[in-house]
Amino acid sequence: MADDDADDRFLVQAAFEDNDLINRIVFFEDGEQLLEYYIADNSQEIPHLILLDLNMPKRDGREVLKVIRKNEKWDQVPIIIFSTSNAPDDILTSYQLGANCYIVKPSSYEELKDLILRVHKFWLQNKRVSC
Amino acid sequence: MKLSTSTLLNRSLTEQQLSLITRFLFGISLILIIALSYSYNEINQELVNYSEKVNQTQQVISGLNRLSSAIYETTHDANSYVFLKDTVYINKTLAAVQVVPKIAKKIDSLIDDDGAQRKRLNFLKDHIEKFCDYTERLSRPATLVNPAAVNALYKKKNQEIDSMIKLIGEMNKLEDQLMYTRVQSRDNYMQQVYRYNWIIMLVAVVFLSCAFVLLDRELRRNKFYRVDLENKIENLNRSNSELEQFAYVASHDLQEPLRKIRSFSDRLVNRHRSELSDDTFQMLGKIDVSALRMQNLINDLLSFSRIVRTGTDSKLINLNTTLAEAKSNLSEMIMENKASIQSEILPSLEGFGSQLIQLFQNLLSNSIKYHRDNVRPVIRITHRLVDGEIIPGIKPSHQDIQFHQIKFADNGIGFKKEFADKIFIIFKRLHARTEFAGTGIGLAICKRVVSNHNGYIFAESTEGEGSNFYIYLPAESMLT
Repeated sequence: MADDDADDRFLVQAAFEDNDLINRIVFFEDGEQLLEYYIADNSQEIPHLILLDLNMPKRDGREVLKVIRKNEKWDQVPIIIFSTSNAPDDILTSYQLGANCYIVKPSSYEELKDLILRVHKFWLQNKRVSC
Repeated sequence: MKLSTSTLLNRSLTEQQLSLITRFLFGISLILIIALSYSYNEINQELVNYSEKVNQTQQVISGLNRLSSAIYETTHDANSYVFLKDTVYINKTLAAVQVVPKIAKKIDSLIDDDGAQRKRLNFLKDHIEKFCDYTERLSRPATLVNPAAVNALYKKKNQEIDSMIKLIGEMNKLEDQLMYTRVQSRDNYMQQVYRYNWIIMLVAVVFLSCAFVLLDRELRRNKFYRVDLENKIENLNRSNSELEQFAYVASHDLQEPLRKIRSFSDRLVNRHRSELSDDTFQMLGKIDVSALRMQNLINDLLSFSRIVRTGTDSKLINLNTTLAEAKSNLSEMIMENKASIQSEILPSLEGFGSQLIQLFQNLLSNSIKYHRDNVRPVIRITHRLVDGEIIPGIKPSHQDIQFHQIKFADNGIGFKKEFADKIFIIFKRLHARTEFAGTGIGLAICKRVVSNHNGYIFAESTEGEGSNFYIYLPAESMLT
C-alpha cells in the first residue's frame, strides 16, 4: 500500500489485523518509494494486490499507475485506488490509466473493516493466491 | 475623463425629470413649429396678395397713361386732318380712335366693381363713347364742307376731352395713393416673412441642439452602464467560481479530520470495549455522533454549493422522467413508509436535469419523512399552466409570461403558517434532531434549484393536516 498519511496506513493495518487476516502488507509513504522497491531495483517480487492513494508527494497515484501498467510483468496485478476524493474526474482518470477498482476511503472504522474483508475475499481469495 | 460629464449629468437629473423634460421639449417644439408654419403661411399669402395688388395698380396706372396717349394721338390725327385737310389722316384717325375703347375695356377688367374708381371709369367710358363718336363725325369728308358743323363738333369733342383728362387725372391720383399704400403693405409683409424665416430657423436649430445633447448624453450613459454591467458580471462570475472552489476544497479538507475522528473513536470502541467504563463508552459515542453530524452538514453544504453553479448546458427535460428518477432514488424510503405518490402528466421544459431531480427528490423525501403517526404518506402532484401575474411577489419583468405550476400536496404533519418562508433557509429546521433526522438543507436546495430556473417556490400548510408546495417554472425558457 502506498499512502502518504500515517493514520490511514495504521488504520488499514489495524483493519487487516482485526479481521484476522494474516497477509503481509508492505507500506510505502509515496509512489516513488513503491516504484523504487519493486521496479527500479528489478526485484523478482510481484505483489498480489496494490492499494494506491491518489494524492501523494513526489510521485502520485496516477504516475504509479502509468508506470506499472506499462510494465508487462505487472499487468496481472490488481490495483485498487484508495482515495479520499470522490470527484468523477479522478475516478474516470484512474480507470483510464488502468486501475481495477476505485474505492473512496470510508468514514468509519466499521466500514473500513468491512471493506478490507470484502477486498480480501474478492481480490485475494478468489484469485486463489496463497498469502 | 469622458465619463465624468456623464456622471455629472446623472447627478443633476433623475430619470423621471429627464423623461419629463424630453417630453416637454418635444411637445413645445412641435407646437411652436406648427404655429410658426401656420403664421408663416398666412403672411406669405398676404405678401403674394399685396404683390398682386401692386401689380394690378401698376397696370391700371399704365393703362390710364396709354389711354391719355391714345386720346392725344387721336386728337392730333383728327386735328391734322381738319386743319391740313390731308386725307391721309382720316385713316390714321379712325385707326387711333378704335384703340381708345379697347384700352378702356382693359382698364375696366382691372378695377373693382364698386367704389369711386368704378364710378369714374363708367363716366370715362361715356365720355370716350361720345369722343369717339364726335371724332368719327369730324373725320368724314362731308362734315368738313360745313365749318359751322365742324366748329360745333369740335367744341363738343373738346369738352369731352377735358372731362376725360380730368377723370383720368383723378383716377391716376387715386391709383398713386393706392400704389403707395399697397407697396407699403407689401414691403411690410416681406419684412415679416424674413423675420419668420429667421425665427423658424432659430427654433429648429435650438430644438435640434437640445435633442442632440439629450440623445448624446443618453447614449454615453448607456455605454457607461453597459461597461459597468459587464464589469460587474465579470466580478460576479469570478467571485462565484472562487466561492465554488473554496467550498469544494474546504469541504473536502474538512472531511479528512472528521473521518479520522470517527475511524479512531470507532476503533477505540471496537478494540477496547472491555476496558472502557460505560461512561467512557457513552462519551465516545457522543464524539462519533457529533463527528457524523458534522460530516453530514459538510456534505450538504457541498451539495448546496454545487447547485449554486448553474452550469452551461440546459436541455429539454421531461418532468415525468425526472419524477420517475427521484422516486427510484427514494425507492427504499418509499417502500419502508409505504408511501403513495400520485401524479398528473407533467410538462417538459428547458432546464438542468440533475438539479430538477434533486428538487423533486427533496420535496418527496420531506413529505414522506414528516408523515403523521400511523398515517400512510400520500403525495399528490398536480400541474397547470398559469399567467405570471398571479404569482405573489413576482418580478415585473415576469408578469407577462406563462408559468408551469406544479403542486406537491401531502398529508403529513404540516407546519405553522408563520414558518412558510423560514423553512427555505439553509439549515433551518422546525423540529429537534431527536424527532426527525436531517440537516435542514433540503428545502434550501429546492429554492436554489427553482431560482436557477428563474422560477418561484412557495409553501403553505395546515398544521396537523398536510402541506402544499407550489413550484412555478417558466413555460418558455429564459436560460441563455
